[in-house]
Amino acid sequence: MTQACHRKCVPPHYKDAELSKGESVCLDRCVAKYLEVHERMGKKLTELSLQDEELLKRMQQGAGTA
Amino acid sequence: GCLRPVMAAVPPSSAAGGPEPPPPPLQYSLLLQHLVGDQRRPRAWDPAALGGIPSPPKSEEQKMVERAMESCAFKAALACVGGFVLGGAFGVFTAGIDTNVGFDPKDPYRTPTAKEVLKDMGQRGISYAKNFAIVGAMFSCTECVVESYRGKSDWKNSVISGCITGGAIGFRAGLKAGVIGCGGFAAFSAAIDYYLR
Repeated sequence: MTQACHRKCVPPHYKDAELSKGESVCLDRCVAKYLEVHERMGKKLTELSLQDEELLKRMQQGAGTA
Repeated sequence: GCLRPVMAAVPPSSAAGGPEPPPPPLQYSLLLQHLVGDQRRPRAWDPAALGGIPSPPKSEEQKMVERAMESCAFKAALACVGGFVLGGAFGVFTAGIDTNVGFDPKDPYRTPTAKEVLKDMGQRGISYAKNFAIVGAMFSCTECVVESYRGKSDWKNSVISGCITGGAIGFRAGLKAGVIGCGGFAAFSAAIDYYLR
């Protein structure tokens, strides 16, 4: 996250030691987007792996009884 | 780091009739819930561990004060006060070198009295100060807003806000004056920005 947002928001002009207003606004937005996408992806992947596990269980039960 | 798609693992299929039962498959969904889902536990982020330069944490008051000083309203107010002072000084100075006070048509060579000169200086100083203050506040405010909107900090911010300020000032005298004001003020801000960067 640090690398991605740094690459996006902080251009390599090092005239001033402090973060300017535009840069700090950009970093705020970048971090918020990254965390939201991270959360959504996690939820989706959890859903997918739950489905997979159920499928597997059914297959195993089917193989066991067969 | 990126999440790679993981699917439930299938244990190596033991042949039917093997003595030990197959180990239960890893429940990745449970793992995921603990890592990124609802059951994750909050962590204390330590900047030293994350690779940042360790510095003493800022107190809440310090953060509040810094946030206020970086806000657009504060910057506009600062420019307003600065413009007022500068405009006042400029007005008083120009009143000293460009007098047209105390002109008496019956006696064109009469030197104005000190009282008249002082009064003229005061009036011109106040009028210039007000103009400078308004222009400074408008320019600073628009520049801050444009920078917050774009999320970048480069020369285009001052050009855009110069155009808006010049246009707003000139617009009162008609559309053409507004366009000229926009172009002129934008060029002026670009020159100052180039000099300052």
